[in-house]
Amino acid sequence: MVWIETIINGIFIGALYGVLGLGLALVFGVVRIVNIAHGEFIVLAAFLALGLEFFFPSASPMLLLVPCILITFLFGYTLQAVLINRVVASSRDPTVPMLLTFGLSFAVRNLMVELLGADPRILASGELGRAGLQIFGLSIGVLPLITLAIAVALFAAAQYVLSKTEIGRVIRATVDDRETVRLMGVRPGSVYNLIMGLSLALAGIAGVLLAMRASFTPFSGTEQLLISFEVVVLGGLGSFWGAFIAGVALGITQLVGLRFDPNAGLLYPHLLFLIGLVVRPNGLFGARL
Amino acid sequence: VSIGSRIPVTGLLVIVIAFLPFLLSKGDIHLGFEVFVILALAQMWNLLAGYGGLMSLGLQAFIGLGAYCVFFLSNTLELSPYLVLPAAPLFCAAVAAASAAALFRLREAYFVIASWVFSEIIAIVISKTSWLGGSSGLSLLTTGLIDLRWFQTVVYWLSGFSALAAIAGSYVLLKSPIGLGLMGVRDNDRAATSIGINAWSCRFLVFVVSAAGAGFVGAINYLASLYVTTVGAFDIGWTGAMIFIVVVGGIGTLEGPILGTLIYTMLRELFTLVLPVSGSWYLVTMGAIAAATMVIAPQGLWPFISEKLGIELLPIRREPPSGMPESGGELGITYRNTRA
Repeated sequence: MVWIETIINGIFIGALYGVLGLGLALVFGVVRIVNIAHGEFIVLAAFLALGLEFFFPSASPMLLLVPCILITFLFGYTLQAVLINRVVASSRDPTVPMLLTFGLSFAVRNLMVELLGADPRILASGELGRAGLQIFGLSIGVLPLITLAIAVALFAAAQYVLSKTEIGRVIRATVDDRETVRLMGVRPGSVYNLIMGLSLALAGIAGVLLAMRASFTPFSGTEQLLISFEVVVLGGLGSFWGAFIAGVALGITQLVGLRFDPNAGLLYPHLLFLIGLVVRPNGLFGARL
Repeated sequence: VSIGSRIPVTGLLVIVIAFLPFLLSKGDIHLGFEVFVILALAQMWNLLAGYGGLMSLGLQAFIGLGAYCVFFLSNTLELSPYLVLPAAPLFCAAVAAASAAALFRLREAYFVIASWVFSEIIAIVISKTSWLGGSSGLSLLTTGLIDLRWFQTVVYWLSGFSALAAIAGSYVLLKSPIGLGLMGVRDNDRAATSIGINAWSCRFLVFVVSAAGAGFVGAINYLASLYVTTVGAFDIGWTGAMIFIVVVGGIGTLEGPILGTLIYTMLRELFTLVLPVSGSWYLVTMGAIAAATMVIAPQGLWPFISEKLGIELLPIRREPPSGMPESGGELGITYRNTRA
């Protein structure tokens, strides 16, 4: 029984990892930049939720998600419009925007240390965090279940928007050829702003949900970034459900590994990632480049 | 400019570095040590990323491995740490060579992440290995075998030697035909391959050399404090500092990391000694400067200064043979191997 519970909990945490990866994959796939600051933005969203909770102590943590999504979306949109698009437009070298976000990650992380303190924090989830269900003798938390539902909904929505809607077509066209879409009246810069906004909104959702699950510090971003990357790369570019499956695989590996070996940290997910990648250099579900 | 003409300047630098400890205070010697360590490491990352095109976030793996290698051998064999120091670069080179086959299957962003994960795995494994001190780290047990009166001076000399060797070694390598091939691969690996350059061996060479260099410097750095932990030695912050220095100074130039190290050190001294603010503000400023550099002058400061003032200290560009066009035309290879 304990093994089934471990695997189920692995799926819960893995689904969140999938959402982290989805945010990063959007930017990586569409804007073609490696956003090193993604982890810091996840932590920033967690702090944002903590601040909102302080001002509205009676609000349900799930309700806090709404302002968090709006604020992180606007933040991402503005960041891309004001700063990152400058270097995406001016250089064909993809390392320049990557190094820009590298500088940002350094600045944001230490700004958080300086202004918000380095103590571990946790987002109180109240009644919701303690609620549990008994299904077939397994005890399952309500919060992880809601988290999984949110994650699945986000993946389904992303898949739908990209494959079925007008804006999805514009985004795919921009990925294919950012010069030609200009001829059709699309400004790639605006598409990038939207994508960065969506990416950070996804990071925000996952950040808030993760902060309810475990404590975080300004330094947690590094670990979150690493996990997000592992999800993207292992899942393979251009495959949303690949990212979902990769996230779940990493989550299960992490929790099962910790059962065997309690102080292993992220060792087993890292090993899974490295082995998976060496066997399939383009990820599990990625197209051959 | 031939390599030979650089020898007198190098000799002069060796003498200056060798005699400085006799003129400086203990604090200044320590500062000099730190500057040389980070300069040598930055040159290694520059070689890897700026010339080999391998953007690695995992060079700290070899800092840690080098340090652990020396501590383990010295403690186990009861030999002076100076004697086992050469084992660090050799061991790191061997690990790099063995892992290259797997890591090189991955390109660009995939390589970036995999190199970082590779380092994390080694760090976790060591922190779980009891005979390597586990999570509490390793102390050097053979301090009885070294003359502690000279210790600070000796590690300072070793750091100075590493920094000079990193610059001189990179210069000689890049001036050689191998260096030309390397830059060709960095700028356009298909074009380079089409004229007979083996892209894989070029990358392999810089990967192994930079790993050996980082291993040696890592060993010296932790030897100086007589103590090493996985948290410190495998910290991504090491590579963060290298990237800051190289990117701000000028990636793909040999002068850039020197300038970057000066800026990095002055900034740190300014914040910790002059301004009454805590250490994190210095890191905030560092990050902001790196980001601003990418927006304003993506090539970094040195190419900017070099062009404005028309000076070059360690030029590695080739003059095109007389009568040849400046660019290789259809092949897309430029004879002037600067990052234009």
